[in-house]
Amino acid sequence: MSRLTIPVERHSLDNGLKIVLSQDRTVPVAAVNLWYGVGSRNEAEGKTGFAHLFEHMMFQGSAHVPKNKHFELIERAGGTLNASTWFDRTNYFETVPSHDLELALWLESDRMGWMVQAMDQEKLDNQRDVVKNEKRQRYDNQPYGDWDERLQALVYPQSHPYHHSVIGSMEDIDAATLDDVASFFQTFYVPNNAVITIAGDFDRDGALELLNRYFGEIEPGEPIPPLPGDPLLDPLIGETVREHVLANVPLPRVVMAFRIPPYSSDDFAVAEVSRGLLGMGRASRLYRRLVRERRVAKGVVTFAFPLLTGASMLLAWATGYPGASPEELEAALAEELEGLAEADAVEVERAIALIETDLVRALERASERADLLSMFELHFDDPDRLNRELHRLRSVTVDEIRAFAKERLGSDNRAVLTYEPKAPA
Amino acid sequence: MSELDRTQPPTSGSIRKFDFPDVERRTLSNGLDLRVCKLSRLPVVSTNLFFRAGEGRLVGSRAGLAVLTGDALEGGTRKRSGTELAEAMERIGARLGVSTGWEGTSVSMSCLADRLEEALGLLTEAVLEPAFPEEEVDRAREQQLAAIRQRAMDPSALASMEAGRRYFTAGIPYARPQDGTEESIGTVKRGLLSDFADACYRPLGGGLIVAGDLDPDEIETMANQRLESWTGAPPAAQEFRVDPATRERRVWVVHREGSLQSEVCVGHVGTDRATPDYFPLSVANMLFGGSFTSRLNLNLREKNGFTYGVRSRFGFRSRPGPFSVSTSVGTDVTAPAVREIVRELEQLVEGGPTDEEVAAARDYAAGVFGLQMETAGQIASRISQLVVYGLEDDYYHTYRDRVRAVTTDEVAAAARAHIRPHEVQVVVVGDADEIVAPLEALDLGPLEVARAS
Repeated sequence: MSRLTIPVERHSLDNGLKIVLSQDRTVPVAAVNLWYGVGSRNEAEGKTGFAHLFEHMMFQGSAHVPKNKHFELIERAGGTLNASTWFDRTNYFETVPSHDLELALWLESDRMGWMVQAMDQEKLDNQRDVVKNEKRQRYDNQPYGDWDERLQALVYPQSHPYHHSVIGSMEDIDAATLDDVASFFQTFYVPNNAVITIAGDFDRDGALELLNRYFGEIEPGEPIPPLPGDPLLDPLIGETVREHVLANVPLPRVVMAFRIPPYSSDDFAVAEVSRGLLGMGRASRLYRRLVRERRVAKGVVTFAFPLLTGASMLLAWATGYPGASPEELEAALAEELEGLAEADAVEVERAIALIETDLVRALERASERADLLSMFELHFDDPDRLNRELHRLRSVTVDEIRAFAKERLGSDNRAVLTYEPKAPA
Repeated sequence: MSELDRTQPPTSGSIRKFDFPDVERRTLSNGLDLRVCKLSRLPVVSTNLFFRAGEGRLVGSRAGLAVLTGDALEGGTRKRSGTELAEAMERIGARLGVSTGWEGTSVSMSCLADRLEEALGLLTEAVLEPAFPEEEVDRAREQQLAAIRQRAMDPSALASMEAGRRYFTAGIPYARPQDGTEESIGTVKRGLLSDFADACYRPLGGGLIVAGDLDPDEIETMANQRLESWTGAPPAAQEFRVDPATRERRVWVVHREGSLQSEVCVGHVGTDRATPDYFPLSVANMLFGGSFTSRLNLNLREKNGFTYGVRSRFGFRSRPGPFSVSTSVGTDVTAPAVREIVRELEQLVEGGPTDEEVAAARDYAAGVFGLQMETAGQIASRISQLVVYGLEDDYYHTYRDRVRAVTTDEVAAAARAHIRPHEVQVVVVGDADEIVAPLEALDLGPLEVARAS
């Protein structure tokens, strides 16, 4: 494929709401997707986990929509919906048969404009319980489930907005009040801090008219307050920081993380492709060397987090076999990561080919197109950046990858989290 | 512009008619069932080769061998090592996916359309000419053993494994984990894998499914060239009857040290994919525990805050699979949550659903079906289901009409026929010291405590 040709049209309303339209009438499906510029990084001390708890409250009704009605109406229409909270943003999305586009706009506009009137203590207490159960199910009661919380605390200093996890602490979730809900809503859930994208099957003029009708009368808010804490960071951690956890886990695991340039930096592409060389596919360096040849790891996982504030994070973890020494596993993982400094051009081509297939396959779905367009609009003021993604990744060279490995993957920029199985009682 | 009335949901626009895309069905020279679906959306193709080498044909002592054989395919072919095979695929942006279930093994691959011929060649090489080098087999086995050990400490995996053991009679495949046990896999060597593949990796009864931007005639020619030497049928699988382990309602507590939550599975043997009640039963499940606004989720999550979510599910297989309600709940509310699940089961069976609930569930099922036809991968996996379960060619073209034709009486009857609240096995993985007494007080039936191994 030479280049992507996803149609992109931008608009905005007087209240500051940004609009992206991307028409594709192949299948009668319309995706509505909103990104609000608020996430866990906006949480002040003592309020961790609140952005995510608030996301749950957004489904508890609004002035004209009773509790549960949002889900009921979308499901009745044959649609799907959800939301997610992340470090830098919170997104909300519906995919509906295209003849029910207006339903999704009515629901989203009602909670953007008039959510807070519908809140009460019972709803807050109910969703607080739901979120605490979510935290137990996904993090606390899960082997290795607390890795991200521990790792973030190693990679980012106490004063940085990424020091704490998205799910937050039980104490802070317990302490949340209805006043917090109201002030968070008034501060962050304002049209001037949001993007709405419609992708898929819709009539362009009709959609613009509906967006105006439903969202145009929502009052803008104040400018968004600066991030709490100190977002500035040294590009490197400066040393190897480590935590060793003796836990109820079945197998030893070593998780290693590195500060990398933020997502907004041109250099982030180098990190993304590097991650592909290291961990994408069975011919990747870590799978080939650690799993297949040396057989010291049962499995390997890698991520390059697309984060905006100060520094992002590349991580790699290796899970060892029963009885393996965590120290040896760590040494093997470190050696292979450092070995990226000898990467060759064939590996780069392989990684880019995989990234390319994944991207094109993701773009088959209207919901994915909408989500990416919202992101590029919110973070970069440039939704058409989506069409340049392949070019951005293909321009990464093997020399850049080698330099990246030397600069970023060494022992002066490393957080190491080790899980060791507790001996059976 | 007229004043906007926000108090009422807007009315729907006119429905755009949209059918499941046409599927060409052909038979290859070796008897393999070829299904091709041309989609001119994006230049991508999804391919799936299915054959009847499933875990359902393996008795306990060989449990997990089909899964292991499938996973060991990445170990390489007679022409290429494992790494060379992976490199050849990944260089063109393709990846091999092997998944082995009860019914068979699926080898799937997605790639950009202009790479299909090369990718299909590699896929067929992996399946037709596996080398199973000893080192690679040993590694795959150690990985599978480690995964089995991991599962034993994962609360939800532990609960569903225990549920299988309690729902089904001992000794049949469905009563054990799909990928086997330490005993059944521990000593397996390469000879067993190559024998299994020789016998069961055969085209008859299987299918090749291709969806995407392609020409069906070209696919047929390509597939015939690649597959003509691949012939025959797998041996007949050993028949087994699926019966409940017991008709008595019982409670099984598995103690897991330090649990902060309880994993709950409540259910029994369900029914098979060929049941004439498939549509009404699916609607029953949808309104009971198959959607966000289902009875179970509104009760346990939105009313009581016991859980992050709860689901019910029929595992429709070629033989009766499980019917199960599953959820994770706070330790202190474990017994109240179980009580609500059992009460909801009783109410569904005794009182039946309302017309409104049935209408909502029908609309959801019919509408969502249309949403899941966007990608080549979605279409290919749908078509694969036709092959796996022997469904009619026009199954997806009539699907929505059949869902919409389901009546409230049919849903009530299907629930009564297939859900038996007084025979459920209640499986709870959690902190026995905290949950046993309150569970006993529910007086659901005999309670037994086991320790997680």
